[in-house]
Amino acid sequence: MSSNQSIPMLMLNDIHKFYDRLEVLKGISLDVTKGELVTFVGPSGCGKTTLLRVIGGFTPFDSGEVILDGQRIDHLPPNLRDTRICFQNYALFPHMTVAENISYGLKIKKWKKNKIQERVEELLRLVKLEGLGGRMIDKLSGGQQQRVAVARALSLEPKVLLLDEPLSNLDANLRLTMRGEIRKLQERLKITTIFVTHDQFEAMSISDRIVVMKEGVIQQIGSPIEIYERPENEFIASFVGYVNFLDGVVERVDLRPDMATVSTPVGEINFVPERNFNVGDKVKLVIRPETINMSRSEPANGDNILQGEVEIGMYVGSLAKYTVQVKGERMIIDQTNPRETGIFKENEKIYLTIPKNIHVLRKN
Amino acid sequence: MAKAEILSIPQRNLWEKIKTFINAELIHILAAILFLLLAIFLLYPILAVLIKSIKSPDGLTLSYYAKFFVKGYYFQSLLNTLMLGFINTVVCLTVGFCMAYLTTRGPLSLRKPLKFIAMMPLIAPPYLFAISLIILFGRNGILTMALGLKWSIYGFSGVVIAQTLAFIPLAYLMIENTLMSLNPNLEESAYDLGASETRIIRTITIPLLAPGILKAGLLVFVMTIAEFGNAAILGGRTPFLAPDTYQMIIGEADFEMGSVLSVILIIPCIIIFFLHSYLLTGKKFTTIGGKPVASEPRKMTPLVKIPFLIISCLAGLVILISFGVVFISSFTRLLGVKNEIVFSHILNFDSNRAIYNSIQVSLIAAFIGAIIGTLLAYVIVRGKFFGRTFIEMVSLSGFALPGTVIGIGYLLAFNTPPIKLTGGIMILALNCVFRFLAVGVEAGISKLHQINIEIEEASADLGANFMTTFYKIVLPIMFPAFIAGFIYTFMTAIVSLSAVVFLVSPGFELAAVKIFDAAAYGEIGIASATTMKLVVIVIFCMVILNYITKKTGFDVSQKKRSVTV
Ligand SMILES: Nc1ncnc2c1ncn2[C@@H]1O[C@H](COP(=O)(O)OP(=O)(O)OP(=O)(O)O)[C@@H](O)[C@H]1O
Ligand SMILES: [Mg+2]
Repeated sequence: MSSNQSIPMLMLNDIHKFYDRLEVLKGISLDVTKGELVTFVGPSGCGKTTLLRVIGGFTPFDSGEVILDGQRIDHLPPNLRDTRICFQNYALFPHMTVAENISYGLKIKKWKKNKIQERVEELLRLVKLEGLGGRMIDKLSGGQQQRVAVARALSLEPKVLLLDEPLSNLDANLRLTMRGEIRKLQERLKITTIFVTHDQFEAMSISDRIVVMKEGVIQQIGSPIEIYERPENEFIASFVGYVNFLDGVVERVDLRPDMATVSTPVGEINFVPERNFNVGDKVKLVIRPETINMSRSEPANGDNILQGEVEIGMYVGSLAKYTVQVKGERMIIDQTNPRETGIFKENEKIYLTIPKNIHVLRKN
Repeated sequence: MAKAEILSIPQRNLWEKIKTFINAELIHILAAILFLLLAIFLLYPILAVLIKSIKSPDGLTLSYYAKFFVKGYYFQSLLNTLMLGFINTVVCLTVGFCMAYLTTRGPLSLRKPLKFIAMMPLIAPPYLFAISLIILFGRNGILTMALGLKWSIYGFSGVVIAQTLAFIPLAYLMIENTLMSLNPNLEESAYDLGASETRIIRTITIPLLAPGILKAGLLVFVMTIAEFGNAAILGGRTPFLAPDTYQMIIGEADFEMGSVLSVILIIPCIIIFFLHSYLLTGKKFTTIGGKPVASEPRKMTPLVKIPFLIISCLAGLVILISFGVVFISSFTRLLGVKNEIVFSHILNFDSNRAIYNSIQVSLIAAFIGAIIGTLLAYVIVRGKFFGRTFIEMVSLSGFALPGTVIGIGYLLAFNTPPIKLTGGIMILALNCVFRFLAVGVEAGISKLHQINIEIEEASADLGANFMTTFYKIVLPIMFPAFIAGFIYTFMTAIVSLSAVVFLVSPGFELAAVKIFDAAAYGEIGIASATTMKLVVIVIFCMVILNYITKKTGFDVSQKKRSVTV
């Protein structure tokens, strides 16, 4: 049982893919554990769909290995692979009913009629479409179509489920609901899933691990918290949420207590280093807008207190967003629970507190 | 002074009123004029045929129709024609599907050359294949002699082969179009769910393409049964409706029976015309958005690839050979019999004279056709009056009607005053204008749909009147459509045979008719050479069209797909 757990369900080894001269995948390697939901995020054109198509067997690639449950499947066509893909446009068969769509694969596997019927009903229950088996596809709403697509993909219990931006055709509210449902379903069935999305928040909320891609290269693999709080480079930091970057030079490194000081254009800032820094290192501070504190009066004690002037304030209900000028640097600050802290006016002079556990990147 | 002013006001008002009226009603006036033209040059001739077929010296009669059904020969002719249409449709769709599947799903290296060959017959008049088959399988045909064949190309099978080759591009283009518009993810999903390629084709591709294939089939059917040249040249003793009509009128001067045959030929055409437009508006499978995906070459299984390749290559080979032998035959005294290089066919005076006449007629037709087509398109798209769709239907119907029928119609309608045109050049041109009007109209309609009506309205708001708006805004935008309509009408007119064959007068022969006569008299060299000249002209037109497409971004070839036809 434990050995079963340790062998990855899906392994990608150094996959390269060219379209003509253009290298679209530049050595992708990744292990996905059984039952894990891994999300690929990255800007448009970075190769997410291509990678899914490589795994599904639709796109031939130039070098590398795809290993499913311990066996190489590179040479297998899609119909002989135990992976199942859901295309972004669902690709439901428009000339068939919901039930015919879902049972398409079962018929190919020559299931018995009554077994097929049982399975279809089970799947319809699973995706909350009971009673809609007889509907034609074009008589379904977008959300319902998306459920049918998932049900069809799950029908033969694939070893890996590949979802290409499954929620991008839905409106915002539905997207939230479906996001939760897909995750619940995936956890219940313990089905290994690769989920592609544009949407960083979707990735954050649904994944066990996130893979950030850029121009065919994996930038970082990590849990949502790791990716958000400890991005490995500027691209990742700014791709996932908004960031205030501050350039600086390490001035002092103390070991006890563990603390370092950086001089930045806005003044000296102390932080708890996550790794070794040396005096003189050029660094970049990654300060998330919601980690900065704002106040009218100077906070009683603490380091990293800066003075600034509110440039623009925007009240969004759940939070207030401010642009603040600090010694010529412009910083974005989110104040959660604005009712409690009060609304700051434009041109108001205020104090900022920057936390000490900020993430710091070394510049090369 | 005050008095003078008072006097002049009512006068100016009246003039203003007339001007305003004309401006407001111009589109309706235009529509009325255009409809009148359609009525005279399209509806009236057809009506004339209909009347001729039921009118006897002592009133109305159905006796001619009775004769048709009683006399076995005529009925046989109908059966042959329908059978020809059916077989041809099935063969063309099969070959078209195989070729289109390969050029959209097959190996990349194969796609371009195969597509090129599939489209080749478009540059030739359909009867090129009759000529090539005579060269190969005629009484003195190369293969007949070489292999000592007993089989004669003159008859049913010969016509089927020639017609199939001629209409492959039509089937191919329409099927390719639907294949390309099919979301590749659909087939991929089936593949992903475990389906083999044969199963995908059977359960996904063909069912989803069915409406498109059916449409293509209907068109091929209509075109085939109406086609005159191949059946007339190769029919031999086998009767077919279109050539029989010609025989009745020109050979036996039996206008009544000629009209009956025409009406019988029209019936399936009209049924299919309506069926077709019904299908066009019928249900279409749509899927929700998402980015379109380029169809990547899939590894085809040999089970599909090999038969598809065999069928496609066989058809492609015959097409290539046909062009080859007609080309060679233009420079050979009598290919297969006297194989010596001569230029007499190419330089033949009558042939060149006929080509010159054809160019003249086609230019006139193209000019008038493009103007009327553009105006019709404008009226159809922008007009808001009752009967607009009727005008559209009538203007598009010219294409659906067999040429022979329109030919006879013109002969009957314009042989006597008030409109006496027979014997002149105008009757040839006008007949082409109204037969091929659909091309210009469709090009214009599609172009107009690209123009936002708000531009026109904005112009009207700025105080421009209808004429100014039309002149300054609409015309420049419509210009590519006009040119496309012009060239297409020219191209179609110059190769068309079935109607003009009734209307040419001795001493003013057209190229198509010259080819037809030469083939009938066994002057294969002259028939070949004249055909090749037409091919060159058509290629020239296509190059210009291509240039326009590139220059204006207006995809005329796209239009052609829905219209050629
Ligand atoms: N069939 C193809 N032929 C040539 N180039 C292609 C093909 N498919 C994709 N590409 C190119 O490969 C790159 C990666 O494309 P891909 O569709 O994988 O990106 P993506 O990350 O899924 O983007 P998006 O978020 O927009 O869906 C792009 O530059 C794209 O232009
Ligand atoms: Mg994509």
